[in-house]
Amino acid sequence: MLEVNEIDVFRGDIHVLWSVSLKVEERTITALLGSNAAGKTSLLMSISGLIKPRRGSIRFNGVEITKEPAHRIVEIGMGMVPEGRRLFPEMSVLENLELGAFLKKARNTKDRAIAEIYGIFPILKSKATQMAGTLSGGEQQMVAIGRALMSKPKLLLIDELSLGLAPLVLQHIAEIIKEINVTRGLTIFIVEQNALMTLEMAQFGYLIENGRIVGSGETNSLLQNEQIKNAYFGI
Amino acid sequence: MIQIIVYGVITGAFYGLAAVGLSLVFGVMKHLNIAHGSFLMIGGFVSFWLFHFFKIDPFVSIPLAMVVLFVLGGLLYKGLFSHLDKLPEGLKINNSMLVGFGLTWILDNLAILFWTSDVRAVTPSYTGKVWNPLPGLRIPIVGLGVIGIALLVIFSLYLVLTKTYFGKSVRGTAQDRDAASLVGINVERTYLVFFALGAALAGIAGVVSAVNYSVHPTVGFEWLLKAIIILVLAGFGKVGPVFIAGLVLGIVEGVSVYFVGTTYREVVGLVIFILVMLKRSM
Repeated sequence: MLEVNEIDVFRGDIHVLWSVSLKVEERTITALLGSNAAGKTSLLMSISGLIKPRRGSIRFNGVEITKEPAHRIVEIGMGMVPEGRRLFPEMSVLENLELGAFLKKARNTKDRAIAEIYGIFPILKSKATQMAGTLSGGEQQMVAIGRALMSKPKLLLIDELSLGLAPLVLQHIAEIIKEINVTRGLTIFIVEQNALMTLEMAQFGYLIENGRIVGSGETNSLLQNEQIKNAYFGI
Repeated sequence: MIQIIVYGVITGAFYGLAAVGLSLVFGVMKHLNIAHGSFLMIGGFVSFWLFHFFKIDPFVSIPLAMVVLFVLGGLLYKGLFSHLDKLPEGLKINNSMLVGFGLTWILDNLAILFWTSDVRAVTPSYTGKVWNPLPGLRIPIVGLGVIGIALLVIFSLYLVLTKTYFGKSVRGTAQDRDAASLVGINVERTYLVFFALGAALAGIAGVVSAVNYSVHPTVGFEWLLKAIIILVLAGFGKVGPVFIAGLVLGIVEGVSVYFVGTTYREVVGLVIFILVMLKRSM
C-alpha cells in the first residue's frame, strides 16, 4: 500500500535520512523501531507531506505522492497521529474531532464518525466540551487517534504512541489499535522507541539507526533475533 | 457626563471596527499588516465615490467596499505577504511590518495622485441629525449606525469563527499549523482567505470613518495608530477584547477631554499605550 523508495531527506542542511526504503502492506500493522533522533519522525513527516525528500520517491497505492502537500495526502487517504499529539489546545475535544473531518467527503458522515470514536474511547464523550490542552496524556492520545480516524483514512501513521503515557494507559490504547486494525482492516504504520510493545502489536517491522534502515523482517523473527534483543531489550 | 460616555461608546465602537481586522490577521498568521490603515482608507473612498456619483447610502455601500477590499487584499496577499510564510515567527512579524509600510506608502500616494489630498466626507441626509431619548441626551443618528455596524460585525465574526467549518479551520490553523495540514486543511489557502477577510473588515471601518468622521489619503495611518494601541491593550486574535478595549479607549478619551480639553486627546491613547507596555514588561 505504501512504498518508500530510496529517499534522502534533509532537515535544513542536515542530512537525516539516507536512501531509506520500506513497504507497508495492506491490512497490516507495520512498525519502525529506532531510538531517539534515529530519523523516525523525519520519515513520517516525509510520508505525510510536511517535508519533502530531496531524492527518491514515495508511492501510495501506486500513486506518486512524493511532492504532494500534506493536505492533499490526507485527501488521498492517509491519516496521521503526530508525535506529541499536536491537538488544537484551545479547542474542545469535540471541535478537535470535528476538524478531523474537515475534508468535504468526511463532513457528511461526521456525526456518525464521532459516535464511533466515542464508542472506541468512551471517556472522550464525557469530556467532549473540555479544552484539549487540559486533558491528560492518555486522553490526548485518544483524541489524536480519534481525530485522525475521522477522515476515514486507509492508512494510519502513528508517531511515538508511547511518549509520555503511563504503561497501563499505553497498553489499553495499544489493544484498541490492534482491534481497529482487525475490525476495520485499517493499515497501520507505527513508529516507536518502545520496541517490545510495538513488536507484539505488529506483523512486520523495520529497524532504523542514524537515518538508515538496518534491518527488517516479520516481527516473530525479529523478537527472536539475538542482536535485536541486545540492542532494544537489553537482554 | 452621560453624554460624554455616549460619545465615547460611539468612538469606541469605531476603534474596535478599525482594529478587529488587524488583530485577527495578526493572531492567526502573525502578519502585522501596517497597510491595514490604507485598506481602511480605500474602503472610505469606495463609499465616498459611490455616494458622490450614485447617491448610494454609505451603510448600504459597506458590502461593496468589502468586496473591493476582499479582492484587493487577496491579490496583495498572494503577491506579497504569502512569501513571508516560510519565515520563523520573529522574522515574519518584522518583515510583514516592512512590507506593510512599503505598501502604505504606495497606496496612500496613489490615492493622493488619483483623488487629491482633499478631505472628504460622506454626508447623507441624516448627517447631523440627532436622537433625543432623554432630556439633555443627544445621540447622533450616524453614531447609532456606527454602533449598529459594530454589533453586526461582532456577531457575524462570532458566528463564523465558532459555528462554521471555515472559522474552526482558521482557529485550528492559528493554534497548530502542521496539525491543521494533517487534517486536510489547506493552510495557504486559509491564510489567503482570512487575510482578504481582514482587508474587508478594514474596508468596513473605512466606510464608517467616511460617514462619521472624514476620509483622505492619509486617514488610514491615523486610525492605524489607534488600532495598534487597541492591539496592545486587547491582545490579538479574539474579537471580544478588541471591542472592549476600543470602548475603554473611547470612553477614557472622551472623559479626559472633558477634564483637560481637546488638545490632549491623542495623548491619552499614547499614555495608556505606554502604561500598558510598562506594566506588561514587569
